Amino acid sequence: MNKSADTSQPFILFELDHTTYGIPSDMVQQMEMVEQITPVPNSPSFVVGVVFSRGQVIPAIDLRVRFGFGKIAYTLRSRLIVINTNERTVGLIVDTAREFVSIPAQTIQPSPEGISSLSGKYLAGIATLGERVILILNVSELLVLPELVSERSP
Amino acid sequence: MSSPTESNNFFNEFLDDYFAECEEHLAVVRRELLALESCMNQPQIEGSILNELFRSFHSIKGLSAMVGVREAEKLAHQMESYLRSLRDGQISLKPEGFDALMSGTQILERAIGAYRTKEDPPDIDEIISQLEACNPPVVAKTPTAAITPFEVKLKPEEKKRLEALVSEGKQIWHFVFTPSTELSKQGIGVNAIREQLQAIGELIYVSPRLNANQKILFDFILATQEAENHDLGSELKYLTGEPYQIPSPVSEANSGSSNLKVEPPREPEAPATAEAPGEVEAIGTVVNRTESERKESEERTETAPAPAEVLETSEAETSNNISPAKSTSPLISGSNLVRVDLPKLDELMRMVGELVITRARLEENLKNLPPSFPAARRRTLQEINLTLERQLRDLRQGVMQVRLVPIAEIFARMQFVVRDLMRLTGKQVALEISGAETEIDKFVVERMMDPLLHLVRNAVSHGIELTEERLKAGKSAMGAIALRASTAGEMVIIEIEDDGQGVDIYRVLKRAKQQGLLSDSVSETNDPDNYDSQTILDLLCSSGFSTKEEADLASGRGVGMAIVKNTVQELGGCVKFTTKKGKGSHFIIDLPLTLAITDALIVEVSGQTFAIPESSIQEVLSVEHKGIIRLEDQEIISYRGHVFPLRYLARLFNCVVTTDESEKLTIVVIGNSVNSTGLVVNRILGLREIVVRPLTDPFLQSPGIAGATELGDGRVVLILDVSTLISSKIPKIIKPQQFINSG
Repeated sequence: MNKSADTSQPFILFELDHTTYGIPSDMVQQMEMVEQITPVPNSPSFVVGVVFSRGQVIPAIDLRVRFGFGKIAYTLRSRLIVINTNERTVGLIVDTAREFVSIPAQTIQPSPEGISSLSGKYLAGIATLGERVILILNVSELLVLPELVSERSP
Repeated sequence: MSSPTESNNFFNEFLDDYFAECEEHLAVVRRELLALESCMNQPQIEGSILNELFRSFHSIKGLSAMVGVREAEKLAHQMESYLRSLRDGQISLKPEGFDALMSGTQILERAIGAYRTKEDPPDIDEIISQLEACNPPVVAKTPTAAITPFEVKLKPEEKKRLEALVSEGKQIWHFVFTPSTELSKQGIGVNAIREQLQAIGELIYVSPRLNANQKILFDFILATQEAENHDLGSELKYLTGEPYQIPSPVSEANSGSSNLKVEPPREPEAPATAEAPGEVEAIGTVVNRTESERKESEERTETAPAPAEVLETSEAETSNNISPAKSTSPLISGSNLVRVDLPKLDELMRMVGELVITRARLEENLKNLPPSFPAARRRTLQEINLTLERQLRDLRQGVMQVRLVPIAEIFARMQFVVRDLMRLTGKQVALEISGAETEIDKFVVERMMDPLLHLVRNAVSHGIELTEERLKAGKSAMGAIALRASTAGEMVIIEIEDDGQGVDIYRVLKRAKQQGLLSDSVSETNDPDNYDSQTILDLLCSSGFSTKEEADLASGRGVGMAIVKNTVQELGGCVKFTTKKGKGSHFIIDLPLTLAITDALIVEVSGQTFAIPESSIQEVLSVEHKGIIRLEDQEIISYRGHVFPLRYLARLFNCVVTTDESEKLTIVVIGNSVNSTGLVVNRILGLREIVVRPLTDPFLQSPGIAGATELGDGRVVLILDVSTLISSKIPKIIKPQQFINSG
């Protein structure tokens, strides 16, 4: 594989609140329906609980909560995206997820300085595919542990 | 024969085996050095210790020579010589000698490690001179010219193929290639040679072996068209070679030299060292070697002059005679041991775990058979179920046993660590080890290595005071660190205790407030006595926490303690800690012996299901509300003469408490006779065998939760951490919970 500027990377797209986000598909282990989440007491507010995935117990993170959006009831379209990075396996709960696209590297811009909101810091960049705007997630930022002190229950 | 990639894989596996074997030998060395240290002051050192050490270094030397790790080979050779002299009683062991052995082992380890990570090897000149100084001068023995011939041992299929080729009119050649660093720098290695040979004919046989000088060479048997080449020797100038004749069956029993001519390449330099017969180590690959070894010892011929040039750097071999020790062949163990990859054992454990769950489901279904089901048949089924349970338990035990190794592996390393630190800090420390033979799961050993090393380093760097300080405080000049391991039921207990200065709780609290780890509302008073040691431990273990002292080179930057706690928790264990200023600190680490399976009581709390490990349960009570006594903000209960506090699990876990005033309370009493707590639950659902799965993700670290399991329906059930629930105070870092009483 050549490493020239016009390589495309495959991404999995999902939606939160009608906004489309992208995650590199090599991080994605599998996608599942949302069911049977066991709550874990005293865990961070965005950790809905734990699920079993391939023999491993992993946390299920509600991305809406993580980004500061309101939590909604899960529907048949909600998905749990199981991602694998840096020895951690984690499940992300999203509104819907069903697209695979290849995003050429040159269509991705770094996220503008102006975005200072909570969800802004989880962005690695913004891609434009024609008319579509896709927010590229910064996964490692997502998985950073909250400080003991700053964690407040909502 | 095989493609270049296959031979690459072969060589890589060869290398993996090399590292694994060396590590095993080094583990033996560390263990024996530990034993050696303790009997150093006695007049007679146990011979077996010296012998084990000698054999280990001898093996490492041979292995390193095969692979070409020169520094390791030279150093191992020096260590081996020193140990031979000790073993034969030529010299006695002095403290400097022991130090040299210790340093030598460490440097040897580094030399092997450097080869693996492709870094520059450590400098060995200093340690070599150190060792030479300990060893008496050696009398150089005149080497004899015995270079025994080597007979290629072909498999039946290979021989058949050769015979077929000969009848087709092909020429058979036997080539010998001796690799060297010079040649490999030019890109000429065994694979290149093989490719060259394959280009001109059919390779029937390729194999490495060790020659009389412990050098590795490769034998090739090649078949070519007769017409093509008549003088292969000059074309392939890095090989020695000549025509090969297939030995006839009769002559195998007693080959004269007329059948085979074999050319071991002549060393351009100094004469070969004398090798008594039967010493060449077996190379345990491809073909079995034992017969060739035997033959080598039986026959003797003079060296024929090598026809082609052989470029080779020779090493200055010392002229020490190598006595015929019984060395085990490197890659094929002569003993009854099998080396198994840990992942295979993990897989076995996992499969046993699944069996356990399936059997539990069977049992559930059996219980739920309709009453109309014929009783006799039901009994039979239940009896089969019980048998199955017993057999599974035995199987589980068996697999567990396979995974157990003595903790001595870890403890032996601590010696080295302590010595290094003593040198670095100038403190005097005596390490006392007990229970080294205690066996724990190999996986646990691997994971606990770093945390335990960290705790020991901590004890030396921060615990034990400098000698003057100790004397001033009225303590002995020599500080003491005790490492203990023991089993108690299903748990392994590892202790690290030092008699140093203890932890300054006041400093820790101050620092914690500075770093914002204690919110102001909580720290009403600065009185250290208000905080029990467990809380202090939690503070010390918060990632990022560090007092000035923590951040020094010997211990690391405030990350170490957090790793200790996390690792122990991940393994399903817990860390307890007591400290007394001026007196010392004591860490107690409890680890489950079995990682995977345990019996648990399944309970329901406010609609949620939890599992409580059966081993921590004393009994289950049903108590009227009026039996509860209120004492300040606690509820306690008196039962059969014992008094213990009540804990509402619902409250702890932020659930709504749904117990009714009118009903009786179901209480699960946990703990031991000294320290009990009653957990209030809604219902008992049953007793089950569960497979414990750790909650490893940092997002899931919740006090009171030890792990998770699954009861067969795919839903996760959390397992309670009994030790947290027993402690008399909930750590103050956690904000007090609100609760709502319904009904």
